Amino acid sequence: MKAKMFLSALFSVMAVMPLSAQNLSGRDIMQKAKDLPDGDTRYAEMELTLIKKNGDKRVRKVTSWSVDEGKDKKSLMFFTYPGDVSGTGFLTWDYDEIGKDDDKWLYLPAMKKTRRISGSSSKTDYFMGTDFTYNDMGSRNVDEDEHKLLREEDRDGQKCWVIESVPVDKHEIYSRKVTWIRQDCCVPVYVEFYDKLDKLHRALSISEISQVQGFWTKQRMEMKNVQTGHSTVINVLNPKYDLQIDKSMFTVAKLEKGL
Amino acid sequence: MRSLLFILLFLVPIPAVAQESEPLSVGVKGFVDTYHALRSGADHDWMSSRSRVRGELTLSKGGAGAFVSANMVYNSLLKERSGLQVREAYMWCGNEHWDLRAGRQIVTWGVADGLRVTDIISPMDYSEFLAQDYDDIRIPVNGLRLRYIRDRWNLEVVAVPVASFFELPVDDANPWSVVPRDMGVPVVMDMGAEPLRKFENMEFGTRLSMFLSGVDFSLSALRTWNKMPVFSTTFDGTNLVATGNYRRMTMLGADVSLPLGEFVIRVEGAQYFDEAQTPASGLDIPRSGSLNALLGIDWYAGNDWNLSAQYSYKFIEDFTPLMSGTEHTHMGTFRISKSLLNNTLSLQSFAYMDLTDGGIYNRFTADYALNDQMHIMLGYDLFHADKGMFKMYADNSEYWLKLKYSF
Repeated sequence: MKAKMFLSALFSVMAVMPLSAQNLSGRDIMQKAKDLPDGDTRYAEMELTLIKKNGDKRVRKVTSWSVDEGKDKKSLMFFTYPGDVSGTGFLTWDYDEIGKDDDKWLYLPAMKKTRRISGSSSKTDYFMGTDFTYNDMGSRNVDEDEHKLLREEDRDGQKCWVIESVPVDKHEIYSRKVTWIRQDCCVPVYVEFYDKLDKLHRALSISEISQVQGFWTKQRMEMKNVQTGHSTVINVLNPKYDLQIDKSMFTVAKLEKGL
Repeated sequence: MRSLLFILLFLVPIPAVAQESEPLSVGVKGFVDTYHALRSGADHDWMSSRSRVRGELTLSKGGAGAFVSANMVYNSLLKERSGLQVREAYMWCGNEHWDLRAGRQIVTWGVADGLRVTDIISPMDYSEFLAQDYDDIRIPVNGLRLRYIRDRWNLEVVAVPVASFFELPVDDANPWSVVPRDMGVPVVMDMGAEPLRKFENMEFGTRLSMFLSGVDFSLSALRTWNKMPVFSTTFDGTNLVATGNYRRMTMLGADVSLPLGEFVIRVEGAQYFDEAQTPASGLDIPRSGSLNALLGIDWYAGNDWNLSAQYSYKFIEDFTPLMSGTEHTHMGTFRISKSLLNNTLSLQSFAYMDLTDGGIYNRFTADYALNDQMHIMLGYDLFHADKGMFKMYADNSEYWLKLKYSF
């Protein structure tokens, strides 16, 4: 296990080291950021704090697991707080192939019922009242956007690439996004999302980036809707990688069993 | 002997080791709510006034656990419904490939929303018709459920030694009473004798469910009873006496969920064999097969809009003048909901439509989250019918208020 962690860390360093010396395109950099090693399986607890413009706060807590299956990913997530949504679960089979809708199921404990839900439309909806869309929370094929390296500049003392991404599908809720990616670890640290009128809509700040078990981990993400003043902070707690997780974890039966 | 040892090694030590190494996990949750409904018609009388505490306790250790859910209710209108009521109380054990759940539990089958085609194991509590939350309407059954679990399919076997049946309000003091008032003579309703508690009257069934990329489907079979009593009528010289009857029947069914872009198509169908039918008069209960089908479309329109429409159809085979009711029954539902203010406010309209006789029951709800724990809900239940299943509630349109504190 330690050898695997060391190799993963070594791979991530090797993957990033030559980047600064190469003439990379925007797409190359986004692909590198997407391909950053994150283990074959992962677990985390997340605390989502929804903050109104007047400062009022609401909290959501979730526990999640995910596993890679080739380029695809399966994930299972349960709400643990507040009480009225506690036990609600989402199971997602997330496909990398462009045009192939994800498979999604929602379990509602009060109804004792699992519902098959749309795998496509909900991507552009906001996740449980937060300022993050389902798309922001999941992984996205790099070729779902056209990328352009705008410039290199320092941000918070870190040398970054600045990349503009324009969605191929015009139904996306943003017309373009601009991402600042740290050159030393290939992790995004700041993203601006622009609306259809090309006005800044949301800004994502990522901080507390550190290595956990040798994997670069984003432990705090703050998404601010600059047009409404509402914001959401996600704190990632207790992240773990490469756990022994049985495939049966990502089934409808497990979704119905709950935590 | 070696094979016996092999079996023991495989079966016994796994939970034993797990029990020693894992601590007991205890989970407590629940809510307190208070609900009050006022008739919007001329009388302006209270239709419901009740408060309750719901407690849910989950214990688990290793591959086994238990769950208890109970209500402590105070009902100002229906005093006999006040008190402690155990809803679910079951234990389970299992691993990643099978699980067994034993005890009082809600069993949910099918893909229909608020309508019943294959979902006929857990009956319904119509003591306030459909003006309760749907999870309160479902009546748990006291039985066993065994599941064999694979990655993309499950096989479920259910056995209910003593079947449970619908609860219908037959008390005149209940505004939701099903006792007819316009028959010209007084009507007395008797829920009738439930089947004898014998082994051969046990309810049992199985369901095979597949969860595939792009489609879910299930096949189900159930040996059961008509859970909603079929009433036969006699005249005793003063009253018309309606007595409930229960008969054996068999259900074979299938359901499919098919996501197509922003839509999810749901289809459910079942054949009920030898189903008891309502007699036109007298005591004999006619039996006949029936075809039951449902088509539903959910539209996840984006921007927190959700729309859902369902159409259901029932066809009674070999319909004769000895049966009352109709050979063809058509029902529909329509739901539209929208979340606003970062999911702080949810607006919803859910309508049941009697497409056979005309008539509608529409529940409008506005649900506002005051904070993480507390919700305030305001609503209006609209009934409109000149005949058919909603006619008896044509004057029951009501305003309602609910406060709910979750913990």
